[in-house]
Amino acid sequence: MLVSFYLNDVKVTYEVKPGEYLANTLRSHGVKSVRIGCNESTCGSCTLLVEGKPVMSCSILTASIEGKHITTVEGIQEEAAKISRHFSNEGADQCGFCNVGLALVIYALKKEYKNPTDEEIKNYIVGNLCRCSGLQSQVNAIKAYLKEE
Amino acid sequence: MKVNEYYRASSLEDAYRKLQEDPKNVILAGGLWIKKIGQSVNALIDLSTLGLNKISENEKEVVVGSLVTQREFENSKVINSLYGGAIAFATREVMGVNFRNIATIGGSIMGRYPFSDVISGLLPYDVELEFYPNQVMSLEDYLGYKGKLNSILVAIHIKKEKGNGFFKKVKTTALDFPIINFGVSKVNGKYTVVVGNRPAGSIRATKAMEYINNVANPSELDYKKAAEIAASELAFMDNKDASAEYRKELTKVYVKRGLMEVNK
Amino acid sequence: MIVDKKKMRVVNNKTPSVDGKGLMQGRSFYTDDLAEQNSLVIKILRSPHAFARIKNIDVSEAQKINGVALVLTYKDVPHVSFSRAGQGYPEPSPHDKFILDEYVRYVGDEVAMVAANDEDTAIEALKAIKVDYEVLDPVLNFEEAFENKSVIHPEDGINEMFPIGFDPKKNVAASYEMQVGDVEKELKKSDVVVDETFYTQAQAHAMLETHSSNARLDEHNRLVIYSSTQTPFHMRRILATTLGMPVSQIRVIKPRVGGGFGGKQAFHGEFFCALTTLRTGRPSRLVYTREEVFGSSYTRHPMRIEMKIGAMKDGRINAIDCRALSDTGAYGEHSLTVFMIVGSKVLPLYNKVDAVRFGGRVVYTNHVPAGAYRGYGAIQGNYALEATIDMLAEKLGMDPKKVREINSMKEKETSPIFEIMGEGTKGTAMIMESCKLPYCIKRGAELIDWEHNFPSKKVSDTKVRGYGMAIAMQGSGIPFMDMGSATIKLNDGGSYMVTVGATDIGQGSDTIISQIVAEELGTTVDKIIIYSSDTDLTPFDCGAYASSTTYISGNAAWNAAQKMRKRLIKEAATFLEEKEDNIEFDGTTFTSGDKSITLNEMSIKMLYNKNLQQVAVTESYYGHVSPPPFMAAYAEVEVDLETGEYDVLNYVTVTDCGTTINPMLARGQVEGGIVQGLGMACFEAVKYDKKGNLLSNNFLNYHIPTNKEIHKLTTEFADSYEPTGPFGAKSVGEIGIDTPPAVICNAIYNATGVRIHSLPITPEKILMGLKELKK
Repeated sequence: MLVSFYLNDVKVTYEVKPGEYLANTLRSHGVKSVRIGCNESTCGSCTLLVEGKPVMSCSILTASIEGKHITTVEGIQEEAAKISRHFSNEGADQCGFCNVGLALVIYALKKEYKNPTDEEIKNYIVGNLCRCSGLQSQVNAIKAYLKEE
Repeated sequence: MKVNEYYRASSLEDAYRKLQEDPKNVILAGGLWIKKIGQSVNALIDLSTLGLNKISENEKEVVVGSLVTQREFENSKVINSLYGGAIAFATREVMGVNFRNIATIGGSIMGRYPFSDVISGLLPYDVELEFYPNQVMSLEDYLGYKGKLNSILVAIHIKKEKGNGFFKKVKTTALDFPIINFGVSKVNGKYTVVVGNRPAGSIRATKAMEYINNVANPSELDYKKAAEIAASELAFMDNKDASAEYRKELTKVYVKRGLMEVNK
Repeated sequence: MIVDKKKMRVVNNKTPSVDGKGLMQGRSFYTDDLAEQNSLVIKILRSPHAFARIKNIDVSEAQKINGVALVLTYKDVPHVSFSRAGQGYPEPSPHDKFILDEYVRYVGDEVAMVAANDEDTAIEALKAIKVDYEVLDPVLNFEEAFENKSVIHPEDGINEMFPIGFDPKKNVAASYEMQVGDVEKELKKSDVVVDETFYTQAQAHAMLETHSSNARLDEHNRLVIYSSTQTPFHMRRILATTLGMPVSQIRVIKPRVGGGFGGKQAFHGEFFCALTTLRTGRPSRLVYTREEVFGSSYTRHPMRIEMKIGAMKDGRINAIDCRALSDTGAYGEHSLTVFMIVGSKVLPLYNKVDAVRFGGRVVYTNHVPAGAYRGYGAIQGNYALEATIDMLAEKLGMDPKKVREINSMKEKETSPIFEIMGEGTKGTAMIMESCKLPYCIKRGAELIDWEHNFPSKKVSDTKVRGYGMAIAMQGSGIPFMDMGSATIKLNDGGSYMVTVGATDIGQGSDTIISQIVAEELGTTVDKIIIYSSDTDLTPFDCGAYASSTTYISGNAAWNAAQKMRKRLIKEAATFLEEKEDNIEFDGTTFTSGDKSITLNEMSIKMLYNKNLQQVAVTESYYGHVSPPPFMAAYAEVEVDLETGEYDVLNYVTVTDCGTTINPMLARGQVEGGIVQGLGMACFEAVKYDKKGNLLSNNFLNYHIPTNKEIHKLTTEFADSYEPTGPFGAKSVGEIGIDTPPAVICNAIYNATGVRIHSLPITPEKILMGLKELKK
């Protein structure tokens, strides 16, 4: 079946199988920034934004996003660079596999909350597993990023 | 997952007709559990254009469309205003934001998952399920309903009453299913006690409720007694997450704490 | 060479990681991002039985499916035994694995391989393979494995490379015994003896990028493997030997790696990609599912450790007697070396003993194989030792901190164990040139306010806070065995191309090496272009394991940079027509009196105008010692006495890792290690059913810590300088993981009086322990 949606504001139309998931559709069309870590709705590495809301793209059917706006990290390159700087400052960056999903979640968090508490930040990013860092450093990096402007 | 057809229903009638066509036709809610079990499906029926993603309220109740996501539900002002926010709190305990933006309230309920925090969060209250075509059933009755209901969940109706709620999920980490969960309420002076994932599904502890609802001005000792009744009346089992004995001990503690909490 | 820390400009300073921005921006650089678009997709048929022999296997139906390119069973692959451990040569692990075999030894073991045009077809083909199994009695309890009537490796053609105690007919993969002094005599002499037994579980690495590899043929028909690996050079060697190919025909490329932690030291799908591409001529790719990573790769070795310690009334420890039993699962990767580290990187902490004994066996079972995992023996040994030390202190009526202060390693001291025990072989004697452990203990105690808080304080009727501690040590590479090298090439414009075989797997070695080179050459990190690692393009490195990268590969890079500096001065002398001794180089300009030339100018001239040449140097390094980093760790836990639930409110560590080349990355290593260690200590339960099926095989059933479980980490470093390390550095990659099991065990005991002897320390165990105490 054909599905059309907006990928970082550009309309795309792909031929997909009815049971195909968005992460696979995007990766097979060259959007390799979508990382698949578990492919079972848990680790959060494949997170991207649908209508501005973070979702795990391994678990959302491509057919179900007909006409919707999808944001991958290619759509927030400048913000990703800023977030990366804060991650470096806090010693929060390592293998990077979770980073793209996290960057998109942090971006959505910033849009949704004005001055989130530590607890709100943690609740917002808890669906993005990281096995490398001390985790606390991520929260500190996010706080510094949110304070930036 | 093998799916032969993705069917966008034009109306509830259309969706219902499609659902009856083939036993392997299923309603798509969030789609998370379908992926998890990986069974092959003939047609996935998409209801997303039918306006089932709204939360509304009238004087007596809050009406939640079945396709409202868990995230929309937990963020809703009106849901947060109910029973001290206990229902919204229970939903927030499910996985991460990127999961709850996909998972729907309808999907959580229709699945009747024994580990459901959403169900243990709702069961202490007066909640009715509205199905197409033309059927209304209480949440409690639906949980006890034998067999598969081939109707379409349209909305859930949560009664607006004065009262307090408590919810506790015992878990290993934040991304865990509950080892066991508890919902306790005091609505119009009446207590309701729910225990879920024993590891069997959420259930009301009726004997404990009967006991505590018949004590005038209960004290901490009465709450303790009620919790002990709950622990002995309900069935608990061992599984890989915990032993029956540990679940029983937790029931004694958290039912008591819940009853005290809803009295604050 | 000793360098004044105050003069360091790049090293020991905050420098952003060189790859952080590109990682966050989502560039394509992980292994599967780089697979050829039309690669055949490889899927593996896995055993449903814990132990079975394949009586008959029929692949004819699978081969008939449209789109299936290749099906392989044990009948179609070279019958050459090897070890997948990813170690140097000869390996201290038994050669007990075949690419495919007629026996399957755990649920998830490889039965057959399919390569097809797409994933759906490959999965369909797997279902079409008919296998007739003779189901055998599995060994699922490692305490019953030794001399069990079920022999897990009955086959011919398996062997040890040198004596490691390999005895497969008795289900023994390796064994080891050592003793210094007379342990029995010293224990008898002791005023107090504690004798305790502990169990550790098969922790999973749970790196976010699953195992991934792909293959293609290049324009010379050479085999090119992309692999998410920690050991590209070992992989090339072992692929060549096992497939009967010359090393020259294989190229292994390691792109960015999405976490390894030891799990990617060993090999996974590379043999199947290689065979598929060699036999079909087509590119191929294999990406493990998450379930395969849990159930069909490797785990930490579960162990039973018996720890007996004797001490005098004044707190002086006389003797330590440690016996261990290790479960290596179906195959013996790292069986001996992990086992030996239980002794060699743990017991020297208390170096003043008169006698020490260590030994035991590593047995085969029908579980998921165990392999290398960060902490590698040390975390198991540390749990047993450091929990027992607390129990000893209680029996002595002493503060456990005091017992550690009296007995632990100090600077300029040594332990006889260093010389006796290496990794699979004899060790290397060494003196602790840098050991700030006493400072670490003292400073950590201040940070947690040990004096006022130990052992516990009541918060409410149901809540108590407990305080616990432990100390730990590691090593820095394997002396005379681990080798790294670096090549530095001068570019026009004055930047440097640095190629290293050292494998950055997320720990930040590309950044660390860039800093070391930039420091020595007086330049900045943006002038360093670093590339790692590719067996065609970069010089050799043993790989990222054994806490070796900063120390071994860092020293290699430092040596190369020193050589480059001398070489540049020599060339500048030619340009300036001056003696080399008279030339000063500040990183940008060579000066001699009033004569000068910039590096920029000279670098361009040497390519186009004068003194024409490519300036490039290569240097190597191997360790003569393995200087241990040290750590003292403390935790504050809050326990709910009615439910056993607890939170780790604060985890304090003070680490001596010599100079921190990059303080932020060092912190990341320590804190990341602690969080993984807390995972093992508190949450990461491994569950099998009675038939040997792994139940904890996904992130819903295997719980790694999330940010919600981490409340506060307090991380400090001691001021320390290791004279043999690059700019004074020692390793820091593993030390962080070692302490949490013991620290949490001790803190829980101090809060509740319940001593937990098996990991993870679950609320259920605590509550049941509390109920037991009440009886």
